[in-house]
Amino acid sequence: MNLTINGVETPIESGPLTSLLDVLREELGITSPKAGCEQGGCGACTVLVDGEPRRSCLTPAASVDGAAITTVEGLGTPENLSPVQQAFTHHYAAQCGFCTSGMMMASQAYIDGGGTDDREAIQHALGGHVCRCTGYVKIIDAVAAVVRGESFDPNVTAAGTAMTNLGGMA
Amino acid sequence: MKAVGARVPRYDGVAHATGRTEFVDDVRIPGTLWVKAFRSPVHSATMTNLDTSRAAAMKGVHVITWEDVPLLEYGHLSALGIPADEPLLAKDEVRYLGQPIAIVAAPSEEAAMAAVAAITADFQERPALFDVRKAFDADAPVIHQEGNWYTHFENEMDRRQIRKGNIDEAFDKADLIVQGVYRPAAIEHAPIETQVCQVVPEANGRLTIYSCTQALYFSMGVVAAHLQLPLNKLKVVGGTVGGGFGGKVDTATETMCALLAQKSGKPVKWRWTREEEFLCSSTRAPWHMEVADAVTKDGWILGRKMLTLHDSGAYSRFSPYGLTKHSFHHTGAYSIPNLEFNGYVVYTNRTPTTAMRGFGVTSVSFATETHMSRIALELGIDPFELRLKNANRIGDTSPNQIAYTDPSTVPTILAIADAVGHDLTSEYAGMTPAQRSGDLLPEHLVGQLGNPEAH
Ligand code: FES
Ligand code: FES
Repeated sequence: MNLTINGVETPIESGPLTSLLDVLREELGITSPKAGCEQGGCGACTVLVDGEPRRSCLTPAASVDGAAITTVEGLGTPENLSPVQQAFTHHYAAQCGFCTSGMMMASQAYIDGGGTDDREAIQHALGGHVCRCTGYVKIIDAVAAVVRGESFDPNVTAAGTAMTNLGGMA
Repeated sequence: MKAVGARVPRYDGVAHATGRTEFVDDVRIPGTLWVKAFRSPVHSATMTNLDTSRAAAMKGVHVITWEDVPLLEYGHLSALGIPADEPLLAKDEVRYLGQPIAIVAAPSEEAAMAAVAAITADFQERPALFDVRKAFDADAPVIHQEGNWYTHFENEMDRRQIRKGNIDEAFDKADLIVQGVYRPAAIEHAPIETQVCQVVPEANGRLTIYSCTQALYFSMGVVAAHLQLPLNKLKVVGGTVGGGFGGKVDTATETMCALLAQKSGKPVKWRWTREEEFLCSSTRAPWHMEVADAVTKDGWILGRKMLTLHDSGAYSRFSPYGLTKHSFHHTGAYSIPNLEFNGYVVYTNRTPTTAMRGFGVTSVSFATETHMSRIALELGIDPFELRLKNANRIGDTSPNQIAYTDPSTVPTILAIADAVGHDLTSEYAGMTPAQRSGDLLPEHLVGQLGNPEAH
C-alpha cells in the first residue's frame, strides 16, 4: 500500500485492516491524530483523506490505499502557522490540546469547502468532535475568524474578542 | 504583574496548534510492550483459584498479581497517617466491577488481550450495595471488615462532625423548620485522553515514568511506597495532561506499569480504552445530603442540622479529605451560628470515587444554594435579599471557627443581581461586606463573631 502523507508519498507496511490511526501513529510516528476512543465517538483522530475529514480510528488502511492524507503536521509549522493554527492559538481554542488536532482538521475541511462564519453552520461541521476542556465557544470563534480572513501573530497579539463566555453561543 | 488583565499567549498554544505537544501516548520508545488488565467481572465477590499460568506461559508475556507487589496496600493519604484500605491488585476479595486483579504486558495489544483472556479465577458472588442510605441497615451487605463506613477521622471517629453554638436553642426559637434532601449524581470526568502511562527501565537501575498524572509528587510517593524503592530510583516525567478534572489525581496506572517494567526489563505502555475509562476509572462521588434549617419569619437562619453521606465507592482514596472540605463549607457563603453537622464516608460497591473540580464543595454548594432558594420561597422573601442578609461578612466565622477577613458573598450576589437585572431595594443595593452592626447584627449573630485580625 501507498499513501501520500502531507505531500510525501509513503509506502505502508502495516496489514490492510490496520486502522489508519495506527498506521500514522505506530508505523510512521505521526502523533498529531490522537486515540481518544478508537470507536468513532470523539473525533480526536480526524485527518483529511483526499480533503474529506475522516475518523482515522475507523478507517482500515486498505480502504484508503493511494489516497492523499493531511494531518496537522501538514498544515503549518511553529514558524509558519496556517490561518487555522493562528486562529486556534489566538482564540485560546486549545486548552489541554488533546482534541485540537481533530478539531483543526475538521475546521480546515469546513473552510476549504466554502463554509461561512455562521456559528450554527460551524457547530454543525464540528458535530461529533468532543472537547472536554475548552468549551466550544472559543473553537467556533477561531473558525469564524479564519472564514472572515482575520489573521494574527500569536506572539504579540493581545487584542481580540471579549473573553467572556456569556452569550457567546448562538 | 504585566499579565494581569492582559491577553497573554499560552505557553503551550503553538505546540497544541501544530500537533507537537508530546502527550504520554506520543512518547515513542522502540520495543515497548502493551499492557492490559484482567479485571473483576462482578461487583462483589470472594475470589479463589486465580490462575495466571496459561497467560504467563505465552511467548513474551509477563504477568503481575498481588503476590508481586512489595507493599500491597498504600493510599494517597497514607503519608498523612490515614490508613490505606485498597490493595493495588485484588487478593481475595473484589469490591467493584472492573477492579484490577492481574496485569499483563505483551509484545502487541492483541497478544496482551489474548493473555488476559487466558487468566481465570472463581468468583463467589455476593449481593452488592449501591445505595448509601442502605449502608447502615442491619441486613446490608458488608463491604469491608471494619464495616460500611470509614472510621479513621481524628481520634478514630467514624464521622466528620462539626458542632457550633447551641443547636437545640436555635430550633426552639425558630418560626419555621425548612428541610430539603439533595442528591447530586456521580459524574465521569471523561477526559479525551484516557489514563495512560509508559515506564522505561533504565540501564542505571532507575525507572522513567511518563505519566499523565495531575499530581506528580503524589504519584511518585505512591509508586515508591508500593515498590518499596527510594524516590531517587524514580524519574517521573509529567505535566502534560490531556484533560484531567480531578480524575488523574489517583495513581491509576503508574505503579502497575512500573512493576511490569521491572519484571520484564522492557519498556511498557498502558493506555486505557474509552470503555475502561468509563467503567473502571474513578468518578466524582454521588452525595446524599439532608438539610434542616431553623429560620425566622423575617429571613434569619438561626441554625442548621445537616447529614451528609459521601458515596466513596469501594475504597476510601481521597474521600475523607473531600468530606472534610465539604464539612467546612456546609453553611455555604452564609453565616449560621448554630450548627450540627455529621458526615460519613460510606463504602458501596461502586467504582471508587475521587476528586473532581471543587472536590467536596460543589456538592454542598448545590445543596446550600438550592436550600436558600427553598427558604426564600417558603417565607415569601426575595431570594437575593435572603442571601444578602445572611451573607458572610468581615468578622463572621466559618463552621470551623475561622473569622473571615475578605468574604466575597455580598459583592458576588450584587453582581449577579445586576447581571440578571434583578431590582433590589436601596437597603440591599448598597450593601458592603463590612462588619455587622445595627439591623444586620441581631442578637443570634453576636456570639459567633470572631477577630479577623487573628489570621
Ligand atoms: S479516536 Fe477516532 S473518533 Fe475517537
Ligand atoms: S482542549 Fe482538552 S479536550 Fe479539547
